[in-house]
Amino acid sequence: MYPVKKITKEDTWRSDDLKVHIEAHSEESKRRSKREEEHRKYRDGESLDRRHRDPDRDSRREKEKQRERESTREKSKHRDPDRDRNQDDKLEDIREDRYKERKRERDNRHRDGDEEEKRHNRGEKENSERRRDREKDRYKDRDIDMYNQWDRGTNREGEKDRDRRRAERDRERKSETDRRKEERREGEKDERERDKERERRERHRARESEQHRDEYEEKQREGERRERRSDKEHSGHKEKEHRSDREEREKRRRDKESHVAHTSHSREVEQHHQEWKESKDYFHSIKDGDREKAREREERDKRREKRHKEASESKRSDRERKHKDSSGHDLSERINTDKEVENEENKQASKDHNDYEEDFEDYEEDFEDVDEEEDDNEEEEEKEEHDKKLREDKRELSPKRREEIEAIQRAIDEENERIYSARSKPTTAESAVTQRVFTERHSDRSRTHGKIIDFVSAKQREVSQKVAKKQKKRSEELLRLIDFDFSITFSLLDLPPVNEYDMYIKNFGTANTKQAYVQCNEDNTDRDIQTEEVNMTDKWTQHPQEANAACGGSKATEDSADESTSRINTNSQWLTTFLRSAAQVMAVLIEENMAESNSVRRLRSQTDALSFSDGCIQLNTKLPFLHGRQVSLLQFSQVQRQTLLSVHPPSSKSSAVRLDGETIICVWNIWEPSRPQKILLYESEVRCCCFSPGKVTLVFAGTEIGSVVVWDLREHSGTHLNLVVGKEVWTLRYPTFSTDAVLSVVGHLSPVVSIEPVLATADTSSKSTLTADIDECLGLSFQLGSLDENGVLTLWVVVELHKGNDSGSQTDLGLRPGGKVKLLHSSSLQTTEKSPQDVIMGFGPPVSLQLKFLLSDSNHYFIGTNMGLVRHGTRHSLKVLPKFYRSQFDSCRPVEVTALDFSPSGEPLFLVGCSDGTVRLHSVLREDPLMEWSGCSSGASILSVQWSQTRPAVFCVLDGASDLHIWDLTVKDYVPFVTENIHNDRVTAMAVFGEPAKQNTFSGVALAKQSGKVEIQYFKESLTVPSAYDKEKLKSFLHNAFLI
Amino acid sequence: MDAGASTYLIRPNYKDKFKAEVAKECIGEVLREQLYAVQYDPEEAPALSRALADCIKNKLRDVGFDRYKLIVQVVIGEQRGEGVKMAARCLWDADTDSFAQDIFMNDSLFCVAAAFGVYYY
Repeated sequence: MYPVKKITKEDTWRSDDLKVHIEAHSEESKRRSKREEEHRKYRDGESLDRRHRDPDRDSRREKEKQRERESTREKSKHRDPDRDRNQDDKLEDIREDRYKERKRERDNRHRDGDEEEKRHNRGEKENSERRRDREKDRYKDRDIDMYNQWDRGTNREGEKDRDRRRAERDRERKSETDRRKEERREGEKDERERDKERERRERHRARESEQHRDEYEEKQREGERRERRSDKEHSGHKEKEHRSDREEREKRRRDKESHVAHTSHSREVEQHHQEWKESKDYFHSIKDGDREKAREREERDKRREKRHKEASESKRSDRERKHKDSSGHDLSERINTDKEVENEENKQASKDHNDYEEDFEDYEEDFEDVDEEEDDNEEEEEKEEHDKKLREDKRELSPKRREEIEAIQRAIDEENERIYSARSKPTTAESAVTQRVFTERHSDRSRTHGKIIDFVSAKQREVSQKVAKKQKKRSEELLRLIDFDFSITFSLLDLPPVNEYDMYIKNFGTANTKQAYVQCNEDNTDRDIQTEEVNMTDKWTQHPQEANAACGGSKATEDSADESTSRINTNSQWLTTFLRSAAQVMAVLIEENMAESNSVRRLRSQTDALSFSDGCIQLNTKLPFLHGRQVSLLQFSQVQRQTLLSVHPPSSKSSAVRLDGETIICVWNIWEPSRPQKILLYESEVRCCCFSPGKVTLVFAGTEIGSVVVWDLREHSGTHLNLVVGKEVWTLRYPTFSTDAVLSVVGHLSPVVSIEPVLATADTSSKSTLTADIDECLGLSFQLGSLDENGVLTLWVVVELHKGNDSGSQTDLGLRPGGKVKLLHSSSLQTTEKSPQDVIMGFGPPVSLQLKFLLSDSNHYFIGTNMGLVRHGTRHSLKVLPKFYRSQFDSCRPVEVTALDFSPSGEPLFLVGCSDGTVRLHSVLREDPLMEWSGCSSGASILSVQWSQTRPAVFCVLDGASDLHIWDLTVKDYVPFVTENIHNDRVTAMAVFGEPAKQNTFSGVALAKQSGKVEIQYFKESLTVPSAYDKEKLKSFLHNAFLI
Repeated sequence: MDAGASTYLIRPNYKDKFKAEVAKECIGEVLREQLYAVQYDPEEAPALSRALADCIKNKLRDVGFDRYKLIVQVVIGEQRGEGVKMAARCLWDADTDSFAQDIFMNDSLFCVAAAFGVYYY
C-alpha cells in the first residue's frame, strides 16, 4: 500500500487536479457500479468460488455453525462482540476521518485498523493487492474520464452513456424503494427504530420548516433541478474561490474535528451508524446463515440505506434551504457552519459548471448504492446472494426495455432530485463509500478470477465439505472415547558441553605428542614396620615324661615335632645306649690313660711294699659320703672282670652327709679309679651282693633283714636322688626292686648270707662263650639263688619288664616307680636237714654261711656251714654224693666255713676257708679234702679264699691277722708262696680279679683296708701268666686223691 | 454416515502396537549402518538426515506398526564440544502412542533419531 506516497501526491495536487480526480472517481464509480451489476449475475457462484478459495474461512464458518447448533456459542459470542467493537472502531474511525480526503482516510484506516486488518487479514491482503491493482485501474480510469470530461463538452456520447447509466440507477433505486416498502412491513423492530428516527427527523425538519416552510414547499413543488441549477449558477462564478476556500476549510476541518457546527451531523450519523451497527451485529450473529436470513439482512441493509438516504436528504434539504438563504449574503458563514453541504454544493456547482448536474446526481446516487453495498462490505456475500435475484431481474429488464425504463427513470428523477436535495452530508457518505468502494473492488477482482472454475470448485467444495463433515463427526465421536494427555518431556539428547581441556586434548592432545613419562611418584614408597613380629610357639612339657615325650610344640609344629621327637626318641634310645656304652668306654680309656701314667709311678713306689705286687691302684674312696666307712665286702663281676663292687656298711661315726644309717655300695671300674661308676644305697646292712651273670646291669644284694634287693644300673640318673656334694653331683640309687614287700612266706625270714646267680646249664658246656653270650642266651631272665642263715635257699626269677611304670605298680609293691626289673619267687629249699647228729652234738642250730653253685651244673649247690662242713645238694632235691665235705681230721666240729671258692679253671676243685685258720682243697667228687693246710695263718680266721683267675694253681688267702697269703701249688704245696703281712693298715676284705682268656692277661687282688681305702694290687707276671704245669699239678692232685 | 453403525478401533492389536524397544533397535541399526565412519560435513548433513529419516521410517514400516502414523525426526549435529539438549513433548494418547529414540555418536558428529508412533483411530 502506498499511503505515504499518496498523501504526498494528494498534498501536491492542485485544486483543478483534485476536481478532475473527483470527477473521474465519480465516473469510475459509475462504471464500477455498472460492472458490478453485470457481475452480480454470477455472484452466487462467485461467492461459492470465493469460499472455495478460502477454505479456512469456510471451515471456520462451518465449525461455527455446528457449534451454534450444539449450543456452544461461546466462540461466536466472543467473536461477535469483538467484531462489533471492531466495527465500532472502524465506524468511529470513519467518523473521525470523515472529512479527510479519501486516500488519507484509507491510509488512516490502514493505520488505525490494524486490529481489524489482522482479523480479516486474509481478505485484507487480497483486498490490498487488489486495491493496488484497482488504483492503477483507477488512475487509468481517471485518465480516461478526464479525457471524457474534456470531450464531453463537444462529444455528447458521454451523455448518452451517462443517461444510460442514470436510467439503470433509477431503475435500481425504484426497485429498492419497492423493496423498502416490503421491508418496512417486515422488520418490526427496525421499523420502530426507524420510526424513532423518523420522528426525530421530522422534529428537526419541523423546526427548520417553521422558518422556511414556504420556501421549502415551493421549491419542492417547482422542482429541485431548477433550484439547484440556480443555486449552482449562483455559486458558479465563485467556483474558484469556493475551491480554494474548500481546501482551506478542509484543512481547518482536519484541525478541529469536534467543531460545534457539525456535531449535530455527527450525532445523526452516529445514530444512523448505531442502527447500522445493530443490524450488522445481527448479521454477524447469523452470518452465513440460511438464505432467508441473508435475505432479511439484505433487506435490512436496504432499509438502512434508505434511512441513510432519507436522513441525508432531509439534511440536504435543510442545508439547501440554508444555503439558499445565505447564498446571497452570508455564504462564508454558512460554509463554516455547514461545511459538508458547502463542499457538496461546491462539487455540484463545479459539475453544474461542466453541465454534469445530472451526472452528478447519478454519481451521488451511485455512491449511495455503493455505499449501501459497501457498508455491508463484510456481509455482502450473504447480501449478494439475495441481491442476485433482484439484479438478475433487473438485468433481464434492462437490455430489452431500456427506453421505457429511461422514461420511467425520468419520472423518478423528480423524486431523486428531492432525495438529492434532502441529502445532508454527501461527503460523509462519500468518504465512507469511497472507503468501501475499494473493498468492493477487491471483492470484484476476486470474483472475476473465480468466475472460470465456478462449478467445478463448487462441486469440489461440496465433496470436501462432505468429507470434512464426516471426519468431523468421526473425530467428535472418537474424542469422546479418547483422552489425550500431554506427555512428559522426553529428553532426546543431553550432551553436556566438553570442557576446554578435554576439547584441547581431544583435538590436539594426541597430535604430534608422545607420552614418555608419567611422574606419579609411585616408586617412591616408604614402608615402615613399627614392631617386629614375635615368633610365638606354644610348648608343653610334662615331668616325668610320658611315652617318650616330655615336651611338645604347638599344633603347627606338632607333627614335625612329634616326628622328630619320636625319631629322636627312637634314635635317642639307641643313642643313649650307644652313648652310655661309648661314654663308659671313653671314660674308661681316659681313666686308663690317667691311671696308667699315675699307676706306673705309684707302682714303682708300691712295688717295694708288696713283694707280689706289680703295681697298685688306689680307688678314690675319699668321697664325702664314704668318709669313715670301712669296706665290708669286695666283689668282682664274673664277666666284666674289671668291675668291682665295694660295700660300705654304715659306720658308727657321723659323717657330713646324712646317709649314716644306710649302706652304700659303690660300683667301680678298676680302670677308672677316680670315682665310682654308680653309687647304690640301701637302708639296712648288706651281707652279700653279686652282679648279674651277664653284663653288669644289675646288682643283687642280700640284706641283714632278710630281703633281696636289685639295683638296675641302667636306670636314668634323673629318676634317682641327686646329691650335690661340693661341686660334684652324685646320683644315689635306691633299689629297683626289693623283696621286702613280698609276702614273708616266700621271702627270707633270716639274714641273707649269700646270694648267687644261677647260670644256665647250657652254658656250662663251653666256658669260653659264657662271658660274651650269656646275655643273649639268658636274656635278662635268669634265676638267682639266695641263702639265709637258716639254710633256706630261695630261687628267684629275675624278670625284666618291657616298660616301666613311672607311677608305680599296683601289684609289685617292691618295684620302685619306673623300675623295670623285678624278682619273682620261684622256689624255696630248706637245705639244712634236721640231723640228729647236730642235736646230739649240741652245737646249736646249723647256720648256713656260704652258697656256691657248681659252674658246670648249676643244679648243684654247695653251702658252707658253721660246722666246718660244706653241704652239697641239688635244687631238685636229688640225692647226690658226697653229701658233705668235711675236714680230714674230724668229721664234725664247730668251725665256720667262712670262705668257699670253686676253681675258675673248670676243674671240679674248690677251696674252703674256715674260721680256725685252715684251708682245704676239696674235690667235688670226694668227701675228704685233697689237701688241708692248717697253721699257716697261726690260728687267725680265714677271711677270704680265692682262686686266681688266670693261673689255676694259684690262690690267695686273707686271714684275720691281715696277712695275705698267696699260694702257688706248682711251686710249693705245703706253704704259701708269698705271705704278705700288711699291718699298718689292716686289710678287711679282699677280692681277686683277672682276665684269663686274653693275651694281655692281668690279675691282681683288691684289698680293702681298715681305713676304708681300696687298693688294687696287680700281680707280678709270674703269678698272672698261666702255665701248663698249673693244670697238671691240679690233675695230679685229683689223681693222687683218687689214688689214695 | 451412520453414527450408530460405526465402530472404532481405538486400541491397536498388541502385535501392531508401537514397541519402543523394537523401534529403538531398528533406529540404532540404521544409524550404525549408515553413520559408520561418516565424518560431519555441513553440506551433506541435510541430505543425510533426510535419507536417514526415510530409511528409518521404511524400516519401521517393514517391522509393522499397522495403523500407525510414523513420524521420524533426525537431527545431525557436529561434535564441537558444545552442550546440546533436545527434548520433545507430545499431546497424544499415551496408551497407544509412543516414541523411540536412539543416539549415535562418533568423533565428528552426533545424530539423534526419534521416531514417534501415533495411532490412527
